[in-house]
Amino acid sequence: MTDTNASAQMIRTSFTGNLPNVLLPIAIVALFLFFGALEPNVRTWGNLSNLAIQASYLTVFALAQTFVVIVRGFDLSLGTTVSLISVAASMAMVWVGGATGSDVVALVACIATGIAIGLLVGLVNGFFVARWQLNPFIVTLATLNICMGFATTISGGFQIFNVPSILNDVFYRASFLGIPAPVIACIVLLVAAHLVLTRFRLGRALFLIGSNPRAAVVAGIPVRKYTVLAYVLCSGIVALGALLLTARTGSGEPNLGGNLMLESIAAAVMGGASLRGGKGNIAAPIFGALVITVLSNGMNLVRIDGYIQQIILGLVITATVALQARAENRRSAK
Amino acid sequence: MQLLNLQGVTKRFQGVTALNSVDFDLESGEVHVLFGENGAGKSTLINLIAGTFPPDEGQCFLEEHEIGRLSPAQSRDAGIGVVFQEFSLVPQMTVIENLFLGREHKSSLGRLDHRRMKREGQLALSNFGFNVDIGKRVGDLSRAQQQMVEITKALLFQPKILILDEPTASLTEAEASNLFRLIGELKAKGVGIIYVSHRMKEIRALADRVTVLRDGRLVATVPATTVSDDDLVTLMTGRQLDRLFPEIPCKRGDVRLSVSDLALTGAAVKKATLEVRAGEIVGLGGLIGSGQSEFVRAIFGLEPISGGTIVVDGKQVTNPTPRTMLERDITYFPADRVAEGLALTRRVRENVLFSALWLQRFTRYGLLNLGEEKSAARNVSERLKLRPNNIEYVVENLSGGNRQKVLLARGLVRPTSIFLFDEPTVGIDVNAKFEIYELMRELVEEGCAVVLVSSDLQELLHMSHRLLIFNKGRITAELTGDDINEEKALKCFFAEDVLERPAA
Repeated sequence: MTDTNASAQMIRTSFTGNLPNVLLPIAIVALFLFFGALEPNVRTWGNLSNLAIQASYLTVFALAQTFVVIVRGFDLSLGTTVSLISVAASMAMVWVGGATGSDVVALVACIATGIAIGLLVGLVNGFFVARWQLNPFIVTLATLNICMGFATTISGGFQIFNVPSILNDVFYRASFLGIPAPVIACIVLLVAAHLVLTRFRLGRALFLIGSNPRAAVVAGIPVRKYTVLAYVLCSGIVALGALLLTARTGSGEPNLGGNLMLESIAAAVMGGASLRGGKGNIAAPIFGALVITVLSNGMNLVRIDGYIQQIILGLVITATVALQARAENRRSAK
Repeated sequence: MQLLNLQGVTKRFQGVTALNSVDFDLESGEVHVLFGENGAGKSTLINLIAGTFPPDEGQCFLEEHEIGRLSPAQSRDAGIGVVFQEFSLVPQMTVIENLFLGREHKSSLGRLDHRRMKREGQLALSNFGFNVDIGKRVGDLSRAQQQMVEITKALLFQPKILILDEPTASLTEAEASNLFRLIGELKAKGVGIIYVSHRMKEIRALADRVTVLRDGRLVATVPATTVSDDDLVTLMTGRQLDRLFPEIPCKRGDVRLSVSDLALTGAAVKKATLEVRAGEIVGLGGLIGSGQSEFVRAIFGLEPISGGTIVVDGKQVTNPTPRTMLERDITYFPADRVAEGLALTRRVRENVLFSALWLQRFTRYGLLNLGEEKSAARNVSERLKLRPNNIEYVVENLSGGNRQKVLLARGLVRPTSIFLFDEPTVGIDVNAKFEIYELMRELVEEGCAVVLVSSDLQELLHMSHRLLIFNKGRITAELTGDDINEEKALKCFFAEDVLERPAA
């Protein structure tokens, strides 16, 4: 083999070996510049702020997935959990608001309902995965259905209107130093998650369990408890994301979850969290969410047909995940 | 005839040069032993030959034809059979499915020819003298049996070049001598064999030539007949190694661990009684699968117990779990480092602290004390002479001996005074072995109690103060003092079992 070949090989290895750190930011900027060149509206402040808010939602959901992906799982019920929380929390808010006449009490009821449902879904998912050793695919597929059923039943399939506007004011319109509330919430969550993953025993235990669950048992780590915790954390974060998303429209939406399940898993994995477990960090959801958001936003603004957009998005996700998998195989080939 | 010739091959991994301009060749009908410490580049070299990855530099000739890069499938088609240390078997599939994986016999209409595969597989196994049930799932087999399946799989398609990486690591002496007979037959047929081993005895018995690697470089290729054991060790380590096994004085103290009439669900152990005192090493020996490993695993709470009592420091433990045993200062070091020991995708530091996350020293209110963690990891890395001496290294990239050191480090960062070692030196080089024996000596001198399960008879004989022999799930003999010798031990291994022993 010649020298040029050898060095090309090395360059390729070093790049793909660090896909999330090197290639993804470049890809994100390149995508933005590309759409910016096609359509000047992409480059406006208004759109940038819109992009930031959009990406924040997806980042939050991808962050939630990252916690379960680290322990070799995933949460298919994420999307319908969002829908269920959206309608249930809105209904609670309307009802409590009407009964007490206080917006603040109504807001508290809304948040409490949302988080309670999130924790409950997480507990159910975690219990069956950890305690009964069932495959997360089946478990979360089942909860996907259950949440969808509840969301449609309690709402009758209709939007929940007349939600007190304080929800929209606090969780969407409010801003600090010009940074909109959803972006701030996302940043706070990311910082907290980063600390949990790198500075706390909880994060360390999750990584070790994901990397080798049997070894974790031998090392005396309470594997089941922490696996359940991963799912509870995931759905807890999903609940916060669902409240933010509900605040944006200011009404309870039985179909709010939409594509979130696929996009959140895709974002986490594109960003570098490994479905084989034991690997991931908060850069994964950020970069993954940015790729998807910049791409969708750009395609919207250059008016690509919605169905074609789905196809392109699917292809990009597949390609990125394939590149990640290749980088990972290369690293563990040794 | 020259089967294989590598000239100046170099392989780098993310900046680390694993193999530096190495020449290697293989003649037909010879056994060429690869010898060197862990991390010397032996695995990288055989992986290059097997086509796992291409070299960065250098030329490779197969029967005098130059080859660029080979995929694993191409290398197999070219007649290269490989038996890796880490098995390439699918645990969920049966023995027969594994043997023919990817090259199934098909009858007309493309249907699998189960009957023919069964016949040929069974024939091959019994030809090689391996006693394995071909219908069993590989995951249910013992490690020794898996090794036999792996070897049979490589031989089934009559390779011209056979690579064996530590093939006897989990075989008993009888099974190993079977393998040696087989190697003799293959040699006679003109097969070239590349044999990786750390065991001097095997090198003596088998080798025609020996190639010694150190730090990724070729040190020497020498004919086996003209080189002495000492020469080889000196070539490998770059320094003189006087004795492998240290002299360990035995100062018996209080009884630390006392197990009576322990029986396991599934009857791998039927009724075993053991008492271990501070300051002694108790060896557990026997044929593989006689219950010695399951016994220590059960003490640590890893196998279901159906009867008997376990007492640690005078207090009975009714329902042992790894957690409760760790809290009683007991640590078990599993035989299978990859499956049960290490989090390969994580750093050395995290693996060293794996079982210490609940100690006040390392966490307060759930918050990790990273400073303390780093200094503790650095200390043990120094003490165990980890290479590279870098606690942020990902364990996946370490060699076998260094991985084992990372595993053992656990016993040093948390208070541990009862050590249960299960095959602590499987697949690691002489130098690392020596260091691990030294560690055991230090531990015993500090007053720790050590239980040593091993299938390396020399290790058991030299390291044990008392040697208990397991035979079919029972402890059938206890050897002490001068009775700890090869003859007595083997007699106990095979007691009541002599007739089943294959001709060695």
